[in-house]
Amino acid sequence: MPQELILSRDAYLLTIDLRLFWLVAFIYAASALVFILHAVTRSPQAGSAARGIMWAGVVIHLFFIAFRTFEGGRAPFQTLYESLSWFACTASLTCVVVSRKFRDVHVPSMFVVMLSAGASFYALLTRNPAVDPLSPPLQSWWFEWHVVMAFLSYAVIVVSCAIEGTYLISRPLLARGAPRALGLTAQDTDGFRKTAFNLVLFGFPLLTFAVFSGAAWANEAWGRYWSWDPKETWSLITWTVFAMYLHAMGIPAWRKNVASILNVAGFICMMMTFLGVNWLAKLLGIPGLHLYAV
Amino acid sequence: MAGTNKKTGKAGVPAGASLYLYRKLSSLRVSVYLLGVLTFFYGLGTVFPQGAALEEYSGAGGKVVAAVRLFNLLDIFNTPWFLVPAFVLFLNVLVCTYDRFFTIRARKKTLPETFPADCAVTLDCARSDVEEELPGILRGKLGFRVLSKTPGWTVLEKGLSYRWLTWLYHAALAASFAGFILSGLFVREGMVTLRPGKPAEVVSAGEKLGWLEKEDHAAPDFRLVLDAFITAYTQSPSLEYPTDKRSRLAYALGWKGLSYKSEEDSFFPKDWFSKLRVLRGGATVSEKTIEVNDPLKFEGYTFYQAAYEQTLRLRVKGSPSIVEAKAGEKIKLPGMEGEFLFGTLRVGTLNRLDGTVEKIIPFTTVKKITDAKESAGKGMRLTPGNSVDIDGRTIELVDFEEASVLSYRYDPGVPVLWVAGSLVFIVMALRCFGRWYMLAYTLEDTGGRTLLKLHIRAKGLSADPERIKRRLLHCLSNRA
Ligand code: HEM
Repeated sequence: MPQELILSRDAYLLTIDLRLFWLVAFIYAASALVFILHAVTRSPQAGSAARGIMWAGVVIHLFFIAFRTFEGGRAPFQTLYESLSWFACTASLTCVVVSRKFRDVHVPSMFVVMLSAGASFYALLTRNPAVDPLSPPLQSWWFEWHVVMAFLSYAVIVVSCAIEGTYLISRPLLARGAPRALGLTAQDTDGFRKTAFNLVLFGFPLLTFAVFSGAAWANEAWGRYWSWDPKETWSLITWTVFAMYLHAMGIPAWRKNVASILNVAGFICMMMTFLGVNWLAKLLGIPGLHLYAV
Repeated sequence: MAGTNKKTGKAGVPAGASLYLYRKLSSLRVSVYLLGVLTFFYGLGTVFPQGAALEEYSGAGGKVVAAVRLFNLLDIFNTPWFLVPAFVLFLNVLVCTYDRFFTIRARKKTLPETFPADCAVTLDCARSDVEEELPGILRGKLGFRVLSKTPGWTVLEKGLSYRWLTWLYHAALAASFAGFILSGLFVREGMVTLRPGKPAEVVSAGEKLGWLEKEDHAAPDFRLVLDAFITAYTQSPSLEYPTDKRSRLAYALGWKGLSYKSEEDSFFPKDWFSKLRVLRGGATVSEKTIEVNDPLKFEGYTFYQAAYEQTLRLRVKGSPSIVEAKAGEKIKLPGMEGEFLFGTLRVGTLNRLDGTVEKIIPFTTVKKITDAKESAGKGMRLTPGNSVDIDGRTIELVDFEEASVLSYRYDPGVPVLWVAGSLVFIVMALRCFGRWYMLAYTLEDTGGRTLLKLHIRAKGLSADPERIKRRLLHCLSNRA
C-alpha cells in the first residue's frame, strides 16, 4: 500500500477512535450528573437511570478498547492516554458488576463514574491519541503485563475505597438511629464492607504482580531491579499500605476504624503513584525513570 | 528454640526472657507498625532526590540542608534509620513464619469440640442411615477430606489449606528479603564502553559495589568484544493535533478530522543491537546479539544495552588536522568562527510504513550556533566523504565510529528474588482467588428422624458456602 494511503487510513481510524473515546467520556459525565440528580432528589428512578447510563458507557468503552487493539495491532495499554482509558474502563466495569449486589446504594458508583469521567477527559484533553511506536525499553512483555495488572488493581482499589468511604459515612448515621443512610440499612453494612475487603483481596495479588513485573522489567531493560525512582517508591508505598490494611483486618481491635482509614489511605497513595508522583517530582525537581509518562 | 514451651504449651517457642522478644517478633500488630515506619521512609525518599549531591540539592533551592546532611536524606535507603527497621521487619516475617508453622501443624489437635450450627435440617430417615451415607457424599461427590472425628462432630476440609498458603507466601517473602540482603552485600555494577573490534575489560573505574565487596576484588578473567553495533529505525509520522483544549473539543464534535504528516527525517529508534563476543584467553566462549530488554548473561554477570556514542571525524578544507566531534555536543572548528553542532548520525536500517526495510545511507546534520534560536532549527545534511559549505569554508565528514555503551551487573540476589518473588505472587494468588472450606457436622436422633447440624467456614474469593450447602442438601434429598 502506498504511504499516503496508509497515512490517510490511519488518520481515519484514529478519528473514529478519538470520537468513540469522547463519546465514552460524555456518557460517564452524563451518568455522573444523573447520579448527582439522584443524590439531590433521592429518586430511585434517577439512581437506576444513572446506573444504566454507566453500563452503556462501559459497553462502548470495551468496544473502544477492542477497536484500538485492532487499529494499533497491539494491546492498547502502553501510553498514558491508553492506560487512563483502561483505568476508567476497568474501574467502571468493576463498579457496575459489584454494585449489582447493592442496588439501592449509589454513592460508590457516583464516585467511580466521576473518577472515570475525569480520567477520560484528562486523557483526551492533555494527551496525544496517536498510536506511536514504542521506545526500545517499553517493548517488553513485562511492561505490557505490568501496566495491565497495575491499572486493573488500581481500578479495583478505587471501587473498594468508594465502598469503604460510603461505609464510613453511613456508619455514624446508622448508629444515631437512622433507618437508612446512603441506601444502606444497619443489617447491610457488614456484607457491604466485606465487599470492600474482598476487592482488596482481589487487587492485592495483582498489585504484587505489578510491583514484581515492574522490577523484572527494570532488571531486563536497565539491569537494576530497583532504583528507588519516585514512581517505583510510591508503588511500594501503595503496596505496603494495602498489606497494612489486610493485616489490620486480621486484628479484631483494628478491623473497624484503623483498617478503614488504611483502605482510604491506600487509595490516596495509589493516586499519588498514578498521577501525583509526576507532579511531586516536577515540584521538587526530582528526576525519575518513569517521567516519560508525564 | 526447640521443645515445648511450658508457659504457652506451644512447640518450638522459647522460654524465659526471649519469650517477650519472640512474642513481639511474631506479632501481627508489630508487622503493621514496622510497615508503617518503612512507609514513612519511602515517603521521605520521594521528597528528597535520592542520589543527588548536597550541593545540587541546596543549589536547586533545597531548604533543610542541615537535616539533609545530618540524616543523610539524599541516600536515605542506605542509612541505619531505614536499614534497621527493614531488617527488623525481615526478622518479624521470619519469626512469624516459624511460629505459625507450629500453630498450623498443631491445628488438628486444637480444633474445638463443638461448633455453632449455621444451619440445621431434619432428614426423614434414621440416624444410622445418614451416618453411613453422609461421609460418602461429602467425600465422593463434594470432594471433602476428613480432618478430625470426635463422638460429637466430624470435621472435613476441601481445597488447598488457606493457612498453609498464607504461611508459604510469607516464607517466600522472607526469602525475598534474603535476596535483597544478598544484593546489598555482593552487588557489582558499572559501565563499559565497547569500540568495534577492540576487546575491553569488564571492570572499570567507578564501579558501584555491595557492602561486603572490596575495591580490589578479583576482576573477571574474560573480555568483551563488539563485532557490530546497529540501530534499527522506524518511520514515525507525526499527528497534526492541537494542544489547546478547545480545539481538541472541535475534533470530538466532528468539526475536524485528524491527519498524519510524514517528514523525510522522521527516524524513530526502534532498537539498538550490539553483536557481542566473550573472550577468554583469546578464544570465544560465548556470543550474542543483545538489544534493549534482551541482555547477555555470562558467569553471573549480565550485560545490558545502555547507550551508544558516535564520534565524527571531520576536516575543514585548508586545515591539515582531523577534528573529532561527538554527535549532540557543541564544538569549535579550526579556522572558523563560532560553534557548531552535529546531529545524531543516522546509520542502520529504516523500517518504512509500507513494511519495507532499507539500509540508511549514513548522514548527520551540522549547523552553526550563533544564538539560541538557531540551535533549534534543522542543520544541513552531511554524509561520509561529502562536504557542506558554511561561511565560505568547506566541512567534510571523513568517517565516523560508533561505540556501544553497556551497563553490567553482578548480583547473586537476583536468582533468589526470581524464585521467591514468583512464589509470593503465585501462592498469594492461590490463597486470594482460590477456595477453601471447612465443614463440621453432627447428627442428632429426633425419634426416627435425624437432625443434621452444619457449620461451614470458607476462605478465598471463589468460595461459595451457600452452594456447598445447596449441593449437600440436594444429594441428601436425592438419596431419600
Ligand atoms: C512485607 C511484609 C508482608 C506482606 C506483604 C504481607 C501480606 C499479607 C497479606 C496480603 C495477607 C492477607 C491474605 C491472607 O490472609 O493470606 C496477610 C495475612 C497475614 N499476615 Fe502478612 N504480610 C507481611 C508480613 C507479615 C508479618 C511480618 C507477619 C507476622 C506477624 C504476618 C502475618 C500475617 C498473618 C498472621 C496473616 C493472616 C491474617 C488473618 O488471619 O486474617 N505478615 N499478609
